[in-house]
Amino acid sequence: MAVLDLLDIHKSYRSHLSIRKYWILRGLSLSIREGEIFGYIGTNGAGKTTTIKLALGLIFPDQGSVRLFGEDSSKVELRRRVGFLPENPYLYDYLTGEEFLDFHARLFGLDRATRRKRVKDLLERVGLGNRGDRQLRHYSKGMLQRIGLAQALINDPELVVLDEPMSGLDPIGRREVRDIILDLKARGRTVFFSTHILSDTETICDRVGLLVKGALKAVGTIDELVSRDVPYWEVALQGVVNGNLPCGRIVSRREDRVLVRVDSQGDLHRLLSVLNGHGARLVSVTPARQSLEDLFIREARAASPRPARIDEGHVHQN
Amino acid sequence: MFIRINAIALNTFREAIRHRILYLLLVFAVAMISFAQILSLLTVGSEEKIIKDFGLASIDVFGVLTAVFIGIGLVSREIERRTVYTLLAKPIHRFEFVLGKYTGLALTLLVNTCVMTAWFFLILLIKGMFDLRLVVAVLLLFFQFLLITALAVLFSCLSTPILASVMTLALYVIGHLLWSLDLLAKRLPTETGKVLCRVLYYLLPNLGNFDIKGEIVHGLAIAPGRILWATVYLLVYGCAILWTACAVFERKELQ
Amino acid sequence: MAASFVLRRRRQIMALGVIACLLGAIFVQGRIEGLKRGAAAHPLLYLPSGKYLKVMSLGFDGLLADLLYLWSIQYYGNYDIKDRYTYLERIYDQVITELDPHYLDPYLVGALIMTAEARNPEMALRLLDKAVRANPDQWLPAFEAGFLCYNDLHDYTRAASYFEMALRVPGVHPLVRRFYAEMYNRAGDKRTSLKEWLEIYQTSDDPYAHGIAWNHVHDLKVDVDLADLTGAVGRFRDREKRAPRRLQELLTSGLLPALPRDPEDRDYLYDSQTGVVRYGGGLVLGR
Repeated sequence: MAVLDLLDIHKSYRSHLSIRKYWILRGLSLSIREGEIFGYIGTNGAGKTTTIKLALGLIFPDQGSVRLFGEDSSKVELRRRVGFLPENPYLYDYLTGEEFLDFHARLFGLDRATRRKRVKDLLERVGLGNRGDRQLRHYSKGMLQRIGLAQALINDPELVVLDEPMSGLDPIGRREVRDIILDLKARGRTVFFSTHILSDTETICDRVGLLVKGALKAVGTIDELVSRDVPYWEVALQGVVNGNLPCGRIVSRREDRVLVRVDSQGDLHRLLSVLNGHGARLVSVTPARQSLEDLFIREARAASPRPARIDEGHVHQN
Repeated sequence: MFIRINAIALNTFREAIRHRILYLLLVFAVAMISFAQILSLLTVGSEEKIIKDFGLASIDVFGVLTAVFIGIGLVSREIERRTVYTLLAKPIHRFEFVLGKYTGLALTLLVNTCVMTAWFFLILLIKGMFDLRLVVAVLLLFFQFLLITALAVLFSCLSTPILASVMTLALYVIGHLLWSLDLLAKRLPTETGKVLCRVLYYLLPNLGNFDIKGEIVHGLAIAPGRILWATVYLLVYGCAILWTACAVFERKELQ
Repeated sequence: MAASFVLRRRRQIMALGVIACLLGAIFVQGRIEGLKRGAAAHPLLYLPSGKYLKVMSLGFDGLLADLLYLWSIQYYGNYDIKDRYTYLERIYDQVITELDPHYLDPYLVGALIMTAEARNPEMALRLLDKAVRANPDQWLPAFEAGFLCYNDLHDYTRAASYFEMALRVPGVHPLVRRFYAEMYNRAGDKRTSLKEWLEIYQTSDDPYAHGIAWNHVHDLKVDVDLADLTGAVGRFRDREKRAPRRLQELLTSGLLPALPRDPEDRDYLYDSQTGVVRYGGGLVLGR
């Protein structure tokens, strides 16, 4: 079952005093399945945050429908089952961490005992166990991100939506957030998060959606998206005396070490079979898989010549 | 519903009382009320009138300033600083947010007015000038603050903080000068002008309804039902404003 | 779609609610207004005194005076307010003119309302006295006060003293001088009046004023001369127990130093039978 379903969403916005419409999303359709970690990647301004705001009913689509747990997303009750961490959360800086979480717990109508327990647990879980009594104005950016994450989990939601949860965190913080996300999955929760930190995405996401200029360019598992073929292999050799190799091209050479690039599996076998004759030793063979980053950059480049903006007349033709 | 409105109201109240501007305004108000004593030395005869006039005027002005600045600051800031995102992603109806904010602000103003009034009455008690009817004057002033807060909330939902402050303050001034519109309607030669004046006269918030300072200070009789009708006016007009605010906020795009 | 229908429905209900509330507000407003009219509550009671307002106005006292003045005109033009004169003196004397003592219009208009509407000329004179004190370089307030005494109080002596006050201001309008001269006539002192008018007649360069002055001099001279002659005839009668046969007898008997001639340089007519002295021409002003 799809936890979150966006169907043919169009969203434009109009700046003040302007009749021009700026299209942010054009015909976006996206489905988040139960129990998965979905990574939503895209360039700045691609429309990631807009998608998330639409999903949570903070803004409304020009056209198209948003369904949460199979129901119309405008039903406020559905948000009992959702947790949300906004991008660069600006939180009530006059509250202490505990007060902040307690306030959000109250909104769910939790009783005092449950609130107290949950606040304490969550503070531990995001690594702020001993900072709960400090006002948020004294928190660092990383701490704010964590308390924001704790706030998103206060109702033990089925769907957790995180907008750029890794931004502003140091490597240790990123690992902690990553662990929390994986832990959520282990508890059977669904996580939908946007990011532009691709390395994290590749390691933890079940599926990835690539958004470029308001349109979804690719959706699928990492394997589906990037490992369809291995275009070449890189073979590192040591002790190569003379440069006559049966196949492949020497990419670099340092003292007696060379890096050879071969373009097909047949060539790779031939190369490996003649190694002994050359008195060379094999160091490593690396299949040059296409990374998410390659895909990302390729798609972003392909889309860039298109103007991001169209005028009113154009809109009606759509 | 009430649990959530309550939670937001309490949080708003907490934000307000941790806000420096509230204390600044309070200190000013208390200073002004005290200042009347010095001023009253300058006059001959009507010392009591001046102290009362000045005290009530200070409560009025500083109450309104609190309503405008805290009211707009707390609602707009929530939208501008995007703290509202985390809130509205929770199972909260938007009208609950608006009403919660309003309730919190009303609570803040209640406390604020009580502090100013307590100081004012203390001075009067020491001077032996206390008159129980002053409580009624302050109560109506508080009603006025409630109406202005509703306006502040509405404008915060509609516009930027600065514009919202200007509009609310403008309506405060206009609301006290509405009688001139009434006069103008009688003077204008054209029918359309008359009708326009009438429409504006009845549509704009008439804050004069909450002003019985003069009658109280001079010890004049207050028409029976005057206070009751002022209360009813607050209720219906306040409802209209808050309802509009909720409707506006319901469809607001939170950019 | 069902959801959008619900939304639309909700919006309609909201709009209706708001309209209902506003209509309620209008109704309540009407009730409150009704109360105000019935009750003794007076909106002007809360107008603080000018001295006090001046402090409060933070330097905008002139502007505040303008606004209050404009408002007062509207207020006094509203005949629905039955008790609007109760605070007349407070508004003009203690507030507006206190805020801006050099602003003449409020004095003049205030005095006008006090006399013409509120029928309290003494209050108006108090206000104008204040104007004179505050503006010694202006002749208009004193003139207005004089005119008020002349026109409304018919107290010509008091009027003359106000006109005299106005005459002491440099640059005063020549009209004031004529009023001043005429006041003596009205008060019955034709001789002084003639003297003043004669001075105007002799010193005025303006042909119009010259003409007016001549008319007054003409009639006053006839009156004064006739009074002199009739008085002398009376005294002659007392002494001789008969009327003089001719006016010359008044000269010879020493009752008159000289026989006056009428403005047209003719003798006054005398009827020795009745002893009545008459003027042979017609009076210009016909008083």
